[in-house]
Amino acid sequence: MKPKRLFYQVVFILAFSTILGVVANFPLIEKYFKGEYRYSFLSLEKYSSITFITLAEAEELFARREALFIDSRSKEYFRTSHIMEAKNIPFETHKERKDLNVPSFPLEGTLVVYCDGSECQSSVELAKRLHEMDFKDIRVFFGGWAEWIRQGLPVSSENDKK
Amino acid sequence: MIRNKHILLAFRLIVGGVFIWAGILKIIDPLGFAQSVANYRIFPSALSFFLALVMPWMEVVCGAFLVFGIFRRASSFLFSGLLGAFLVLVAVTILRGIDVDCGCFGSLSLKVDYKLILTDSVLLFFSLNVFFYRR
Repeated sequence: MKPKRLFYQVVFILAFSTILGVVANFPLIEKYFKGEYRYSFLSLEKYSSITFITLAEAEELFARREALFIDSRSKEYFRTSHIMEAKNIPFETHKERKDLNVPSFPLEGTLVVYCDGSECQSSVELAKRLHEMDFKDIRVFFGGWAEWIRQGLPVSSENDKK
Repeated sequence: MIRNKHILLAFRLIVGGVFIWAGILKIIDPLGFAQSVANYRIFPSALSFFLALVMPWMEVVCGAFLVFGIFRRASSFLFSGLLGAFLVLVAVTILRGIDVDCGCFGSLSLKVDYKLILTDSVLLFFSLNVFFYRR
């Protein structure tokens, strides 16, 4: 087969698939351009108990001391340092498990989950699991650990407790 | 390279079938797949979104073409490229130490590990044989 013909066929397949993909997902594309899925590709209709919060909102919740902060980073990172009084659910090591070892906390209470910062997604994955466990108010602090320490907000480490 | 027509037909059916199946599982849950792509932390968010909406359709279209023998070389060419890209992506992800599901089969996805490299390599071998076969 001539390379030119191969090229045209490849372009045809790609164009045809793109058209199908765009037509089939038009509602999602519309939502994307309206600003949804900015943080994460999460259907907020399906995961109605999950919201995304900014640093200022996280700080306010922290100050009110009503929310439970959950750190989804690995044990090692958590041990070194974490948001003061946060609990650790290292999601990457727990995702296969059915029980997540969530500290006892009322289902209606406010949970704030965070990980490294905007690049990490484990807080979102953890939030999904918490939603499935029937928690009603899960806030994902997407700026995460990176924003928290940049702002010099209170932290603690396992070493402090020894 | 394998020249036996029956074996090559089997290769076409296997590669095409696997991709049709994988594509359909992803088409059912486009946002879930977009999240899987984002979890690799390699593409910007907009590109992850675009890939997640279009790639599964390409897998199904190409897979169907390969199974029915339409545009045989173009489809096997695209699959070989895709599998090559997957192999690089999986290797880079393992080296970076990121623990993710591959996203390959929607919610039935495998973990990114060496077994996935083996699966992709076998499919790539099949696909390249189909591509290089000349009647």
